[in-house]
Amino acid sequence: MLAVTGTDLLQSLVIGVVNGAVYALIALGLVLVYRSSGIFNFAQAEFGTVAVYGAWFSFTHWGLPYVVAALFGVVCGIVAALTTERFVIRPLSQGPKVTLLVATAGIALLSIGVAFWRTGDNALQFFDPLTKAEGLRIAGVQVSGQRLLTLLLLLVAVALLTAFFRSPYGLAVLAASQDADASALVGLDVNRISMLVWGIAGTLGAFAGILLQGGNSFTPGAITSLALIPGFTAAVIGGLTSLPGAVVGGMVIGMLESFGRLSTFDFIPGASSVSVFVVLLLVLLVRPEGLLGGRAAT
Amino acid sequence: MTAVDPTLQLDTLQVPAETPEQDGSTGPSAAGWIARGAVWAFLAWLVLLYPANIASPFDVPAFDANRMSEAVIFAIIGLSLNVLIGYAGQVSLGHQAFVGIGAFTSAYVVTDLTQEVVLGVLVAALVGAVQSLLLGLVSLRLTGLYFALVTLVYGVMAQQSIFAIEAFTGGTAGKAAARPTGFESDYRYYYFALIGLVAVLLIDWRMLRTKGGRAILALRENPRVAQTWGIDTKAYTLFAFAIAGLFAGLGGGLLAHRDLQVVANPFDFNLALVFVLMTTVGGLRNRTGVVLGSLFFAFLRNGYLVEKLRLEEGFGPIPGPLDVIDLSPEFAPLVIGPILLLVVLTRLRGGFGQLARPFQEWLAGRRFRWIPADEEVTINDVRA
Repeated sequence: MLAVTGTDLLQSLVIGVVNGAVYALIALGLVLVYRSSGIFNFAQAEFGTVAVYGAWFSFTHWGLPYVVAALFGVVCGIVAALTTERFVIRPLSQGPKVTLLVATAGIALLSIGVAFWRTGDNALQFFDPLTKAEGLRIAGVQVSGQRLLTLLLLLVAVALLTAFFRSPYGLAVLAASQDADASALVGLDVNRISMLVWGIAGTLGAFAGILLQGGNSFTPGAITSLALIPGFTAAVIGGLTSLPGAVVGGMVIGMLESFGRLSTFDFIPGASSVSVFVVLLLVLLVRPEGLLGGRAAT
Repeated sequence: MTAVDPTLQLDTLQVPAETPEQDGSTGPSAAGWIARGAVWAFLAWLVLLYPANIASPFDVPAFDANRMSEAVIFAIIGLSLNVLIGYAGQVSLGHQAFVGIGAFTSAYVVTDLTQEVVLGVLVAALVGAVQSLLLGLVSLRLTGLYFALVTLVYGVMAQQSIFAIEAFTGGTAGKAAARPTGFESDYRYYYFALIGLVAVLLIDWRMLRTKGGRAILALRENPRVAQTWGIDTKAYTLFAFAIAGLFAGLGGGLLAHRDLQVVANPFDFNLALVFVLMTTVGGLRNRTGVVLGSLFFAFLRNGYLVEKLRLEEGFGPIPGPLDVIDLSPEFAPLVIGPILLLVVLTRLRGGFGQLARPFQEWLAGRRFRWIPADEEVTINDVRA
């Protein structure tokens, strides 16, 4: 068994934060939807996959310039989210929560299925990352410009969302989540609010997808298989209703995974996923409202 | 109803039971009974004799019998998820882990501990119940669908960690799982799986009639109201988790001995989603529907439907529908499944079970008529 040096730990820490940023972006989208409608959205990461496919398609088939293609991808992700809201979430909004959960999982699976149908299971080669900047070398780990951009975007997203929830629009979202009927009575357009929330969630998912996949090859359901489960765990650990909690949760999951890959833990098969599972159980047992959740989420 | 029945007592107001005579008919005629009897006989033949290639004009290969065993086992797993989604209003997204661990447990008991297959399958069921109970205990610390998230993470963990323990799973080569004596052939094993399904159907049916079963149904509709009636919502939800885990473990055990050699690969997250799909599309809270849905998805996955209905090749000059839309049969469940799911959720509450209801009515000697699904509305309001 190899001893773990301080450098190893530091490197794992950096890798954890960098990977955690993507999980945190997904977790933010999950928290947003959960906070405003109490829905576990299993299609959140798939909005990212849709964005990646949109960007890839417009870039290789239509020959759009690089940045335009990426933006087109984001628009695709938003459209996917809005379509989901209009045709699946809204008709089911009076139904039980478990139905909505199953429905969002169905949306994710449908998107994966359509991608398989149209492109097969060959990995498509994606174009270059959004930025080719050299990036930084932190503790011996090369952090690419793309990764730094992800971290930056994460901070911007948290700041914007926090501001949003303080604005009249954000208050309307919270009001509608607490009592949709009463909100409608005082003149809030509940459907609009729902659209707004899903639109933002789609944007977050789309950016997460484009940033995560830039420079990598991908297969159908790429973002879902990479980031959905860590994203959910991050959101739960952070308290499911807390935006900073989602970021902290994402970082925690990223670090747990990278620490789990240290050679010290080689004797446990799948140490990364075991540690994530154990931490999730511990959080639920010791502090079920989450690390930063104010009160128990209902 | 305008006139009040004078025999009704005020404190025991009862809705009069619906009788077949109400619509003026007096039950089926002799010809009607003969027709129903013929259909019953056909169904009995289809379920009991056809898969084992007995009294059949078709030559059913052993391979197909094996596929049918798989479908029957899927029905058990579907009924397991039905307890969660349909009755308890919870969902498990780690059912592949329950089933997989059940499969390896049974294989372990039979191969390494050299015990009887029946014992192995029962131990698998018990292990399933215990797992589900423990995960349920943790997730019920909060109200909401946390069971879905905990099982989701558990499933990934099982896939990467538990299935990688060589002593338990035999590594990538898998673990041998012999069949029970008397059920060695693929045809015979179908009956072994069928016995399992019948047992699960019986347990499910009787369970709903117990106090616990009624309590679970009540707390799904409105936990708060159930609580005011003195129902311990937590305890009964745990009870539902245990039953679901029991069925899933049993299904896993049966699957292990069908395959003869259990490998970990198929028990991935996709499978968990297929389980959720088949249960919901089949029709929640409807045993016939869940069984039909599970059979449909099992047959779609293992290629039986594509082959028998010639969905790919078509008939002569007529191309198969899968060929027309250029969809590889491998991905067919991934495309057709979610579409069916969304249709069922938004348009056809009750799924396959709903479609089967008129036929069931007719077979039971009543008129063939459409029975609308129950409107399902969750009352989240405290004041309700």
